[in-house]
Amino acid sequence: MAAHVTRREALGGAAAALVLASCGGGDPPPASGPRPGSGIALLGSLLALERASVAAYGACLGVLTGDARTEVDAVRAQERSHAAALEKAIQELGGTPPPGRSRAEYERTFPVLRTGADALRFAQDLEERQVRAYLEAVTDFPALELRLTAAGICADEATHLGAMRVLRGLPAAEAPFVTGAL
Amino acid sequence: MADRSDVDLLVDLLAREQRLVAAYEAALRRDAIDESLGATLLAHERRHVAAVEQTLAGRGNPTATVPSPELTAALGDRHSFGRYAIQLENETVGAYADHVPRLRDPKLRQPLGSIMVCGGAHVVALKDFAGIPLVD
Repeated sequence: MAAHVTRREALGGAAAALVLASCGGGDPPPASGPRPGSGIALLGSLLALERASVAAYGACLGVLTGDARTEVDAVRAQERSHAAALEKAIQELGGTPPPGRSRAEYERTFPVLRTGADALRFAQDLEERQVRAYLEAVTDFPALELRLTAAGICADEATHLGAMRVLRGLPAAEAPFVTGAL
Repeated sequence: MADRSDVDLLVDLLAREQRLVAAYEAALRRDAIDESLGATLLAHERRHVAAVEQTLAGRGNPTATVPSPELTAALGDRHSFGRYAIQLENETVGAYADHVPRLRDPKLRQPLGSIMVCGGAHVVALKDFAGIPLVD
């Protein structure tokens, strides 16, 4: 069941993860509002990741066709709704969602996607990162409501990760415990 | 719901995992699932059962599961079982998404969350085999 991953693939995945890390990390924190420890900083980080994901999937759509394009388009729509849910959560805590970046700014940080295979590998890396981030959020958010929100989104990301693996010709789940660890 | 103990939540998750084990065992016996897919999903579910049992460590009082009428009806052919298994996996993922955030012991949330993520992948694997869209 274990997938064969070449050294080149592993390095490519690590590089993409670094690119994505920089997507979220450079966004400014929420400008105003709630007290430290409310979870708002973590919400801001997750929102930055979701927005980067929406932009990343937009870039992937440029080189995908057929069923893979349809599936990735559906994933992008769900990522948009996740971003909206996180913006709402920030506002409910009394904060202001950070402004985010333009699509062009995001795309400058992405790897070059020449083929559908490039796009799907990038998408899998992205979903692994998101699964990891939401599993940590389920542990770290102080309030139950925020943990429930994170867990619900994490369940969606689990589906996305499985779908990207299947589209790459890999088993949906290679192990009984999936943490998104690279 | 908010005041259920960790043991109550874990016992519920264990019962759901045991239902999945029973379902895949029966499906493999009756040729109601592709052998390779069924064996993989069954192996994962057995690991999930073991992990939740270990987490409970004798604190709970798990109830035995019995085959449901829905499972018996679904074992007639692969199409029916596929639909049944997708629903059962989806319900289990939903239970994890509800229960894991409520666990008072934060150290339990991430490992049990990793089971939820695997469950989401099982849904995708079953949908792929059934030839239906992977992402709704």
